[in-house]
Amino acid sequence: MKTWQRSLVAACALLALFGGVAYAQAPGASPVEFPYMGNRTAVWVVAQLHILFAGFILGAPIFVVISEWLGYRKQDPRYDRLAKEVTKVTVILYSMTALTGGLFIFVLLATYPQFTTWLINHFYLLFAVIYPLLFISETILLYLYFYTWDSWKGEKKARHIALGVLLNLIGTITLFVIDGPTSFMNTPVKAEGISPQEFLATATLWDKVFNYSWIPLNLHRLVGNVTFGGFVAGLIAAYMYMGAKKEEERAYYDWMGFVGNLIGVGALLFLPFMGYLLAYELCDYDASICPYMMADQLSMFFEMQGAMIGLLFLASNYYIWLSMKRIEGVEKVRMTILAPIVMVALPLVMTKVMTDYPVPDPRSLMFLLPLLLAPFTIGRFIPLTVSARTVIKFGFLMVVVGDAIWLTPHGFVPTGAKLVAELELPSDWNFLALMPAKNSAAFTLVFVTVVNYVIYNRAISQGTIVWGKIDFVSQFVLIFLAFTVIWTMGLMGAVRSLLRKYYHTYNLLPDFTAESFTPTLSYSAWWITGITVVFYAIVSFAILVTLRPSDSKGPAPEGSTVPAGAK
Amino acid sequence: MGNVIKKLMIGLVVGGALVGLTRALEFPVIFQMMFFAYAMVGAAVFMMLDAPALTPMSGIKSVIALVAFYIVLCTVYISGASMWPQFDPQDEKGKIDKILKPKRAATEQGKAEELIARAKALDEQAKALAVRLKALGGDQATKDQSVGGSGVSSPTTGAAAGDFMKLGEEQWQLQECYNCHKLKGEGGKKRGPELDNIATYLTVDEIKQKILDPKSFMAEGFEKEYEKGKMPDKYKDLMEERDVVALASWLGTFKNTSVNTPRPIKKK
Repeated sequence: MKTWQRSLVAACALLALFGGVAYAQAPGASPVEFPYMGNRTAVWVVAQLHILFAGFILGAPIFVVISEWLGYRKQDPRYDRLAKEVTKVTVILYSMTALTGGLFIFVLLATYPQFTTWLINHFYLLFAVIYPLLFISETILLYLYFYTWDSWKGEKKARHIALGVLLNLIGTITLFVIDGPTSFMNTPVKAEGISPQEFLATATLWDKVFNYSWIPLNLHRLVGNVTFGGFVAGLIAAYMYMGAKKEEERAYYDWMGFVGNLIGVGALLFLPFMGYLLAYELCDYDASICPYMMADQLSMFFEMQGAMIGLLFLASNYYIWLSMKRIEGVEKVRMTILAPIVMVALPLVMTKVMTDYPVPDPRSLMFLLPLLLAPFTIGRFIPLTVSARTVIKFGFLMVVVGDAIWLTPHGFVPTGAKLVAELELPSDWNFLALMPAKNSAAFTLVFVTVVNYVIYNRAISQGTIVWGKIDFVSQFVLIFLAFTVIWTMGLMGAVRSLLRKYYHTYNLLPDFTAESFTPTLSYSAWWITGITVVFYAIVSFAILVTLRPSDSKGPAPEGSTVPAGAK
Repeated sequence: MGNVIKKLMIGLVVGGALVGLTRALEFPVIFQMMFFAYAMVGAAVFMMLDAPALTPMSGIKSVIALVAFYIVLCTVYISGASMWPQFDPQDEKGKIDKILKPKRAATEQGKAEELIARAKALDEQAKALAVRLKALGGDQATKDQSVGGSGVSSPTTGAAAGDFMKLGEEQWQLQECYNCHKLKGEGGKKRGPELDNIATYLTVDEIKQKILDPKSFMAEGFEKEYEKGKMPDKYKDLMEERDVVALASWLGTFKNTSVNTPRPIKKK
């Protein structure tokens, strides 16, 4: 796609935005009826697609600029190439973000005109002035960043990196700004003793934006976007590795896949805690949200989420395992016996500690921090060691155990109201379904992954990585990770929206349409899968279109066997 | 192949042991099956760890492999999600209609719809009356009208009270109070006090006050929940006055002294 075409798409999106605002003012507009899928699902599909594109174009530049900086600092051209290739894909997907954004507004206005008018009126300054200005600034900065890549090198590289930092700054502000109305719909402003309507009438724009779930949603989306960007970079690498004709190309894309996965996993480690923070704030806002999420209508959505997160951790650790296999000399790497001991003890000890000192009681950290750090502090003074292979295998065992704990429900029922003894955990074991056990499961998954990366780091410092010689199945693992993370984003996006129950804006503006009920998990899964496939098809097309021609150019031969020290 | 058989055997043994253990601990069958499934997942993971390397693919072969992989992923995720117990939206639809009905009526659109509905009903009544007048004659019709008028205006007091209590119980269900409060041995997750003996401590007016202003009373032993404002302060905005009174009146009938309902402490 040429520059003028991209600009045209962006201009259309802006036109859609302003046109939408104008349409919103038209009195008495009656909603259209989407055939087959219905209005709610139509909005769901378009909104989710837009969020996926937006998530990528906001997340990818964060690690692009880090990669560019690493390349500059280490004088390693691979980082620069990675950054540029991901930026190429980002530029194409930027147009898709604008296009789906415009489409989203049109569909929203056509299906829910009264609500959309109401929301735009409450955030008029934000929708009509702040957001478009940020969007235009980001567009200019992104194209400037991309088109100055080759000219701003050498001494000018620092300037280019600074431009990348500015792009990320504007991108992050854009995310935070649009999170205002989004989070407002979940947790509108309220004050004790005053009705929400009365309080809203006197609330400023800042009051509405700075609502209960705004900061947690910002953090959750920011970290989620980096995770997403990292795994999509892994997807790009996998496609290119599969299509590579030369050894050095395979070596490069093997390396790129590793870096993408590393960034994706690095951010993924924080994601359960960011999600927990968001859920905590939502429950704090209105305690009735908590049972709706965890015990009633949405409880099985969270079971599915647990399964998906378990799969993500299993796959990312399996990728580390496959990466280790291509390191020459890995068999000599050993680790303190405390590592597997702590792995096994962690779920038990943590469940007990978190039950006695629930979050956010800081005393829990007094017990848990020494335990978590023991392999790295006391471990070096204990002569008993085990092979890296054994530690990782223990890790896999504990990932399965951790996910089993995460997935164990209070009862196999879609709502607490249908709970009967034949489907319920025995009361003595009910602790397995409570938050301390779930937290301990999440910590176990994170701890195992951290230990695996520590082992990997030791392996590369003692051995030699043979890039391009990784087991071919690893490419499917990278594709699996990207697909699963997108699917999980779709699932959790649906959960966040459904938390508003039968309201457009929780407790404030009811949704009187016949579709304002909680859909089944099965129905949701069909649509989430459909959205993921559409997104995947577009991203795959963008990757092939943008990166395929680079084959003929013959990149620098940086993929040969790299001594560990060169990393 | 030897690796697969070995891991499969270990998986079956561990799974069998877990089933035996959970059966001994009186876990329901579905949980026993779940633990067995975990053991098999573990076996599959360990099979993959020691599996031989996959032969590299390229060209059309890799494209076919990719498409097949995506089809498998889509199938597994959709069928996986469909295997969990599914919430029936019909359970919720009736509730939502009842909750939103007064709110809808309060909107301009709702008022217009109500007027149209009333006009339609009046029109139908008028038509029915005209048919009866034709059939019975003027005197008879006048007599019928006066009899009918007195008959429908005053339902018996007992029936009205029963309906009011039913409305209160319905509000308990609609507002999902059972999520936090146990009553008649059902519901509650220890988030709020058990209410079977609430009428011993609070009058109907006081219960109503607590619903409308959750900070007005604090249940003994629920200091932390009170401080955190666990009971939502939203019912004064969400519920109609009549519904609150009905719910309070219905709760005001619970005087089961054998249940240890914590004593409410007046705060406001």
